[in-house]
Amino acid sequence: MAQPQLTDAQLIARVVVHDDRNAFSELVRRHQSAVRATLRRLTAGNHALADDLAQETFMLAYRNMKSFRQEAQFSTWLYRIATNAFLADARKRKEELLGDRDQDLAPEEDGESAAVPTESAGSDQTRGASLRIDMDRALAALSDAERAAIVQCYHNDLSHEEAAIVLDCPVGTVKTHILRAKAKLKAQLAAWASH
Amino acid sequence: MNNPPRSCSDPSDDWLDALLRADGREHRADYLDDNGFTARVMAALPASPAALPAWRKPALAVLWAVAGIGIALALPATASDVAHEITRAIFAQRVSVAGIGAAFVVLVASAWTAAALALRTD
Repeated sequence: MAQPQLTDAQLIARVVVHDDRNAFSELVRRHQSAVRATLRRLTAGNHALADDLAQETFMLAYRNMKSFRQEAQFSTWLYRIATNAFLADARKRKEELLGDRDQDLAPEEDGESAAVPTESAGSDQTRGASLRIDMDRALAALSDAERAAIVQCYHNDLSHEEAAIVLDCPVGTVKTHILRAKAKLKAQLAAWASH
Repeated sequence: MNNPPRSCSDPSDDWLDALLRADGREHRADYLDDNGFTARVMAALPASPAALPAWRKPALAVLWAVAGIGIALALPATASDVAHEITRAIFAQRVSVAGIGAAFVVLVASAWTAAALALRTD
């Protein structure tokens, strides 16, 4: 007979009380996709860096599992750790590159907006692929904090309040980041306005 | 969705909201295959302390008590001899069987103490 699937809370309890590695492994398996996908977006498509940060996220989660008070969902807590890991890494890289990063990651800096998706592009699949490419470029041009706010609110489907918890900032700051991000995205993605 | 962005968008941003939501839906629908990621995380975790049964502490205490009583019974009058021989060994007096015995007792006691400390997890 198949065993009933344990909840995240039950798995966490096993990790905290018995240092149950199998339980932690199950938690990683359940949440790896969401955490890695979030980090891929935050790192503007740098999959290798995203996976490194995702690994760091789960390591930190394991070490600090006792401090998780289950006031928020486990996934929200993971997003918070992942976002902090990303922002810390971004700060470190910025210091190392002395500002070169913005030039490297902002291919649309000359004011040229995303390529217009043509009608002849045809299927929804093609449109989706085009949107993803343009969205990745546009997101890459945002500041790290703006991108993090957009990713949490739109991609991870969090409310402003939840995003504020994840980003460790006031709700008003989240809203400000989103407003600024959207102003930039509007310019970057203007070609999609009529589609 | 909790509609988070609506409160901070104006009507002219509707197309952008729709675009972001569509992208978000696609993002959430995509499942990334594990491809060994979980195994890499598990391999990178710090080594687990040896699995120790809950009865290890009382067992160690009993072991120490038994050893102490055994020594006391087997060697009733030798405590002063041992102390004397330890003193002699320290001051480089000639080695005797009793001296070797004293050194052995000290070594065993040290080893047991070290083992007890190593097995302690909290």
